[in-house]
Amino acid sequence: MLEHVYWIPLIPLFTSVVILFGGKEGKDSKMPYLGIAAMAWCFLQSSVIFFQTLTGRIPLLEGKEYFLYERIPWLSWGPNLKVHLGVLIDGPAATLLFVVTLVSLLVQIYSLGYMYDDKRKKRYYAFLSFFTAAMLGLVVSSSLLILFAAWELVGVSSYLLIGFWFEKPGPAYAAKKAFITTKLGDCGFYFGLLLLFSYTGTFDLVMLKSHVAQGLLPLEAATAIGIGFLIGAIGKSAQMPLFIWLPDAMEGPTPVSALIHAATMVVAGIYLVARVYFIYTSAPLALGAVAWVGLFTAFLAATMAVTAYDIKKVLAYSTISQLGYMMLGLGVYGYTSALFHLTTHAFFKALLFLGAGSVIHSVHTNDMREMGGLIKRMPATATTMGIATLTIAGMPLLSGWWSKEAVLHAAYSHNWGMWLLGVLTAGLTSFYMCRLFFLTFIGEPRDPHKHQHAHESPATMTGPLWVLAMLSLFAGGLLHYNGLFEHLVHFEVVGHGEHAGGSHAPAFLLPGAAIFVFLLGLGFAYRLYAGSLKTAQGLRDRFEWAADTLERRYYFDDFFLWLVSLSDKLAAACFWIDSRVVDAIFVDGWALVVRAVAAASDFFDDYFVDGAVDGMGTLTQDAGWGLRKLVRGQVQEYLLYVSLAVAVFATFLISR
Amino acid sequence: MSLSHYLVVSAALFLIGLFGALTRRNTIGILMSIELIFNAANLNLVAFNRYLHFDALHGNVITLFVMGIAAAEAVVGLALLMAIYRNLNTIYAEDFNLLKG
Repeated sequence: MLEHVYWIPLIPLFTSVVILFGGKEGKDSKMPYLGIAAMAWCFLQSSVIFFQTLTGRIPLLEGKEYFLYERIPWLSWGPNLKVHLGVLIDGPAATLLFVVTLVSLLVQIYSLGYMYDDKRKKRYYAFLSFFTAAMLGLVVSSSLLILFAAWELVGVSSYLLIGFWFEKPGPAYAAKKAFITTKLGDCGFYFGLLLLFSYTGTFDLVMLKSHVAQGLLPLEAATAIGIGFLIGAIGKSAQMPLFIWLPDAMEGPTPVSALIHAATMVVAGIYLVARVYFIYTSAPLALGAVAWVGLFTAFLAATMAVTAYDIKKVLAYSTISQLGYMMLGLGVYGYTSALFHLTTHAFFKALLFLGAGSVIHSVHTNDMREMGGLIKRMPATATTMGIATLTIAGMPLLSGWWSKEAVLHAAYSHNWGMWLLGVLTAGLTSFYMCRLFFLTFIGEPRDPHKHQHAHESPATMTGPLWVLAMLSLFAGGLLHYNGLFEHLVHFEVVGHGEHAGGSHAPAFLLPGAAIFVFLLGLGFAYRLYAGSLKTAQGLRDRFEWAADTLERRYYFDDFFLWLVSLSDKLAAACFWIDSRVVDAIFVDGWALVVRAVAAASDFFDDYFVDGAVDGMGTLTQDAGWGLRKLVRGQVQEYLLYVSLAVAVFATFLISR
Repeated sequence: MSLSHYLVVSAALFLIGLFGALTRRNTIGILMSIELIFNAANLNLVAFNRYLHFDALHGNVITLFVMGIAAAEAVVGLALLMAIYRNLNTIYAEDFNLLKG
């Protein structure tokens, strides 16, 4: 299984081509089943690899920290400039393979129900397969260059899928926004990549690691590269300040949001940082930047989620916030905890999105103010959503609890201030998630008409929900049990033990604080949103300026729009300079000079060059006219000439 | 009688022939003058043979050839003259100016 891991990205790639170009388009297209079958195979292979590596059935290679490293030469520009196509399977890669194929499979099954009457089903499944192929390629690649290519391909897939309903202006706009915003981050990634190559001459992760271990990368370069990669990750993983695309990306189909904008693509940034963690550990400044970016993103996004009424937007902010947690984990040397949180988050966030999709599918609105009391109409959805809500909110012993605790523990060992803000964020998380649940499922139906027409979703949709609910309940505990996950995914930081620099907390403090904020958030949410919304509305009216700030996302969008309008003005000024100054002097002025030179050249050509040519002709003609007078057709004259010539020559000869 | 006497006679003959060829208007006259030039050459050949290579016969033999060729040339020349006369109705050399430049 493991040695054929390269099939895992290739199968969906071929499948996407087959789906796109084969079969018939339409509601009754059979192509979705092909996509699901291919993904089922990939999932099977990935899960075998994951469990074998997790349980130690497949050992690490002798003296190495990876399970498989194979490569074939691809591009060569000389003896020392080679790029290889290769796979590198280590703990994080094996985990990600499992997570990506699982979520992708469940989302594809779920989409059978969600997209059942869409007229472009075939195209939808082709895009899903293509996205999964690109994401899996990103996960397994041993070369940063291939990783970058796959990184861009997931960006393209994301663009295609957000704008899947491109007839509507919203999705078309959101797709563009997502693509351009993430491209801004990719500039940083690309810059880091070039800088890295200029110092080490390789894109290969294994070779890079040994180069860095040998100290070939100066501190300044490592810092610059780390910051560059961080900017790429900020774009892709929707961190401050480039997070603005993710809430808008909710215009896409909800299963797509679950797959791409919750569980897989947005963790690519986290995965990138984890893949090149050896660079960050050698550049403390860059690692510190990772931590602070993650922390502030987690906190600010959580506050934004508090006031949102669009069910998917709440989840989008929540995703941003949780991604911030992962960044924070990486930044405070909690490598294992960050990837652990990534794994559990993929489960419960995919579940939340799919559950929200189920609700939207049923009531045909995103606005939570028009929902309420849906638990009676959709018991399965409500139950699974409830499980996911408790998981993300931090209910002890569920998946989210274990991973979030690990992150916060790492933060506490590093800097207790970071921990404090992290715990505050956890409380906010508990509050806004419970708020979402209460607004949607509990209380009186606020829109009786919609409530009446609400219905439970079909089994193709609830099935994946239950699978993810089980994972949300137990996966964290199982993976945490006996340090299994820590054994699979860990990173030895030279000269930095887990507890070396930080402080020890009393054993009860960390879990105690987490449970306290969880209950606090739950209680507040229950008080404000479970019954009538009057108190909540009163609070909102009283702190309108705060609510406005949050709803406008701390004016980040306005900031970027201002930046764009500024660059518009700059462009206008440049245009003025170009047309009035540059064109006038260099283009028009140059034209005048050229015309003058041309006139001079024309004069010279007419009177000197042509004069010489014509003169030669005239001379020859005149000479001819003169000479013909000698030839009068008188044969005796000719004879006279001959005789005279002979006489002259004879005289000359004799007298010599 | 020395060689010089023969050469003087020969030169005189040549000059007479040349003068005739240059001055005669009648083409037949020109042809006749050319015959004189031939004969001047022949006289030279025979004289040189007699005085410089008494035992040899080359000069005499070439003279015989020249006489034969001159006869043939006269035939050709007269025939051409006939053709010219038929076309132009004249045998004066100054009227033959088709190649005038």
